[in-house]
Amino acid sequence: MKNKKILMVDDDVDFCAAVKLLLESRDYEVILAHDGKEGLEKARTVEPNLVILDVMMPEMNGYDVCVVLKADPKSRSIPVILLTAVDQAIFKTTYTKQMGLMTEADDYIAKPVDSTELVRRVEELLIRRV
Amino acid sequence: MLSKPNILVVENNIAVLNKITELLTSGSYNVASAETSMEALGIIQKNPGRIDIMLLSLDLPRLGAMPLLETLRKAKSPILVIVMSADCGEEAIEAIHAGAYDCIRKPFTTGRFWVKMNRSIERFHLKRQLESLQKERRIIQGPVSDSMLAILDSMADGLLAADLHGSLVYCNSKAAAALDLMCDEFGRPKQQVIKNKELERLLADTIGQEPDSLPKGHEICLWEVGEKRLRVHIDPVFNRDGELIGVVALLHDVMHISGLNNIKDDFIFMVSHQLKSPLSSMLMQLSVVVDGLAGDLNSKQKDLLSKAKEKTKGMISLVNDLLDFRRIEEGKVLQQIERLDLREILQRTVELMAISAEEKNIAIETHVDTDQPFVTGDRNAIEAVLVNVISNSIKYTPGGGRVAVTIYRSAEDVRIKVVDTGIGIAQADIQRIFDKFYRIRSETTKNIAGSGLGLSIVKRIVDLYKGTIHVESEENKGTTFIISLPAAR
Repeated sequence: MKNKKILMVDDDVDFCAAVKLLLESRDYEVILAHDGKEGLEKARTVEPNLVILDVMMPEMNGYDVCVVLKADPKSRSIPVILLTAVDQAIFKTTYTKQMGLMTEADDYIAKPVDSTELVRRVEELLIRRV
Repeated sequence: MLSKPNILVVENNIAVLNKITELLTSGSYNVASAETSMEALGIIQKNPGRIDIMLLSLDLPRLGAMPLLETLRKAKSPILVIVMSADCGEEAIEAIHAGAYDCIRKPFTTGRFWVKMNRSIERFHLKRQLESLQKERRIIQGPVSDSMLAILDSMADGLLAADLHGSLVYCNSKAAAALDLMCDEFGRPKQQVIKNKELERLLADTIGQEPDSLPKGHEICLWEVGEKRLRVHIDPVFNRDGELIGVVALLHDVMHISGLNNIKDDFIFMVSHQLKSPLSSMLMQLSVVVDGLAGDLNSKQKDLLSKAKEKTKGMISLVNDLLDFRRIEEGKVLQQIERLDLREILQRTVELMAISAEEKNIAIETHVDTDQPFVTGDRNAIEAVLVNVISNSIKYTPGGGRVAVTIYRSAEDVRIKVVDTGIGIAQADIQRIFDKFYRIRSETTKNIAGSGLGLSIVKRIVDLYKGTIHVESEENKGTTFIISLPAAR
């Protein structure tokens, strides 16, 4: 069976590299994009099984990318995990609820994210879609 | 409202004793009785300050009434004494010389008893009122020397004092200028009403506090009066007997430093944000390497990198706490006030904590002992309270321990009780655990990472919501936190 493809969109190159190693160790194929526009393009060309989107990116941020992905019937069904560093215990719910509803993202993870936690969330979403 | 005096009846004639007791009880007075002066003395000594009026028969056998009166006079007892005798003659005059207030002649009719009694009770109330007036006055009416006034007036900061009614009783020239008050040369304000609503509220809050509650006043806030920005420090004033007699406020002009403060805040905010992303990256990189995904590690390498990973986590939580703190100071924790179900918030918090508790093999138990676990507040703020206090307990509880959280009602409050089987807090440290950046340094805590901000975040939020935190702890046994928040109406 072909490996599942994950598109990782984050302007932090080092972070991307580490996540790539992590997910590849679980036999996923990982494609990287470093800004919102590149992310959207790759989402169209690569047709990933899942997208991990950093919220804080220059120019086109993760929320905007997510909204565009969810508005397009072709990419609508691809599960999206939003990642953000703008989180604390204090603001967690507001972000998950409000932004989640607005963008229709499928999951939300606060940075810093634990490696095991990231893998768990990815697997949950992919299994749900089988 | 005037409180009814407690009355002690000392009479060896049981029939008379019963009659008086009956009369007083029917007037809903609290009555104690004694048949000898020794017994009476015992009651007085066992209940210091509790007996207000004593009805004393002069016909007591043995020791008699006079030695008791003498003893009370020597002890400067405030008890109002009314003697009772058959003739109110020589002996009664002697008793009045010894400090008694009046004499009731025996036998008496109900009518005559009450005439005398009511007069005495009225006297008691007047005495009480006079005492409390004097006490309140004492905050300013004590001897103040000219040089003391000059010193207060020469201070760079404004100083003002108010009595228990919230009336202004003193202000120095700086305070007068800052608040547009007119004062005479002794610092006595020409108008006693303070125009500043904020000050009135703070005074009322400080005065209205429970005498045992912590901290005692010490409220700091910022006022903007016209062009001025004042940092205000309010403290209760206690007399030598520890009684609250008023409040004192120190007004510090912060116009020039508020600019600096903004720069500092912006700096912290910027640094925190700039630190967060790279730290998150580092954590992920270290996790991947420690998990062996970038090649095998020997045990020494793994050990070193695991430690680096923990340190990185610690830095991230410090940054998070700093950002949380800023939000509190900006008042963002009061933004969206809604009715909140603590049962639901507790459940979510415990889910959030599950991983860190599991890693340490700590059991978290929750109980909700009320069907009204509702408070009003900002969801994020109340969540932060629970998250911080529970994670604190997990942090300071050794592996294999237990953290139990109970939510229950107590009168108008909803309480959150967090009990752990942790390392406990020394008495000397309990006062300080809510201070910003305070961390207890000891052998047991040196390996526990923390910013020292978590509990001060809790404290600030709870204070903002007019709640209280109570801490009990025994070293090596555990700690109990009880947070009371006003219940939603």
